[in-house]
Amino acid sequence: MNTQEYIESGIIETYVLGMTDAIESAELEQYCREYPDIKLAVTAFEATLEQHALLNPINPPSTIKVQLFESLKDEFVHPVFMSAPTKQSAKVFDIKPFLKYIAAASIILLVISGAMNLYLYTKLSNSSAQYQAILVEKTSLQANNQLIQAKALDLFNSMQMMTDPNMLKVSMPGMPGKEKNYATIFWDTKSKDVYILPNKLPQPTLGKQYQLWAMVDGKAVDAGMIGDCAGLCKMKNIPSATMFAVTLEKKGGSSIPTITEMYLAGKVS
Amino acid sequence: MELPQKYSEQELVWLLKQRNEQAYSYLYDHYSGALFSIILSIVKEEELATDVLQEVFIKIWRQISLYDTTKGRLYTWMLNVARNTSIDAIRSKGVKNSRQNQELTENVYEQAGSAEMKTDAIGLRKLVHTLKDEWKILIELSYFEGYTQDEMAKMLNIPLGTVKTRLRSGLAALSKIIKP
Repeated sequence: MNTQEYIESGIIETYVLGMTDAIESAELEQYCREYPDIKLAVTAFEATLEQHALLNPINPPSTIKVQLFESLKDEFVHPVFMSAPTKQSAKVFDIKPFLKYIAAASIILLVISGAMNLYLYTKLSNSSAQYQAILVEKTSLQANNQLIQAKALDLFNSMQMMTDPNMLKVSMPGMPGKEKNYATIFWDTKSKDVYILPNKLPQPTLGKQYQLWAMVDGKAVDAGMIGDCAGLCKMKNIPSATMFAVTLEKKGGSSIPTITEMYLAGKVS
Repeated sequence: MELPQKYSEQELVWLLKQRNEQAYSYLYDHYSGALFSIILSIVKEEELATDVLQEVFIKIWRQISLYDTTKGRLYTWMLNVARNTSIDAIRSKGVKNSRQNQELTENVYEQAGSAEMKTDAIGLRKLVHTLKDEWKILIELSYFEGYTQDEMAKMLNIPLGTVKTRLRSGLAALSKIIKP
């Protein structure tokens, strides 16, 4: 197939602008999978169209955005509600005997029916128990999923922060004897907020916790405790510092650093 | 902490599917001008265009799960939503008008396109008007008024094959004009 001729025919523009019929569209989508040139031409025209549109906007009245957000405001939040299982009520029929022998037959049928009911009821209870178990499992899966989503968002946010040009990065290598450990400080030069990424620190022993210190005018200032956090841990706001260090302290922190338990230190460059 | 003010297309789509308000706000700020331009060029009246714009953004919000990233760019999808909604809007308005004017017009097809072209066009439609007549009429009728290729062949009394070739050539020419 002569892809160049096909590309130049204008079929790609017709497709992207939504004017091809179903057969033409299907054919073009098939060609896109077979010929990278054609796929490339489609993408290129889409980009050209978008760029042209973005460079020649006509801005709508500013009130529209307010109205739009007002009408959608309930849709931005979407807590997950679990619907309670609906109970099925059993239908009750009155049996009215109108003839003696039919009544006798009815009683026999009633007994059989009663037995059937008992049997079906047992089956229903089993199914219902299984259903409840599945519901519980579904809830826990959903919770798990939300946890993972929250973590992904945390990581995404952390990544955005790390690549912020205002972020000053301070590497903190391990002290002699603890060379295997290190952590990185991210210091927002605008807001002065300090974040730490504990790249490699051993699990603290029971009752102990790592504490971050900032050296300010030769004095060690408490910069916060390193807790359990995904990605970056937010520490205290430190307006100025020449150095950061991490020591292992008793849980909750100390007012002065225990120099013998110093794990990491790094100068602000 | 503030979320970033600029998103890559993948991030934007991902966040929109998570029902993220900030991403949607960014989407509106970034694309409303482009979409309003195409809506206005189709429906022509500002008041109707603002109604259509709101409808389009509500559709984008509620139907983002239908958008398939493998089929094309987000803008292309939104543009098609905007165009279809605009054409529906002029169609339903046109139905009301034509009921009122039924006795005045003998040939609805003849009216379509030709009468409209005298007015001042904006945006992409203005560029279409710089093309030669045989291309212009077909792009006008199909892109801006929503007629199918079959309908145009009957209206203009030319073979379907010719309609297809001319429409494609016209759009290829248009593509060269907008290429930066």
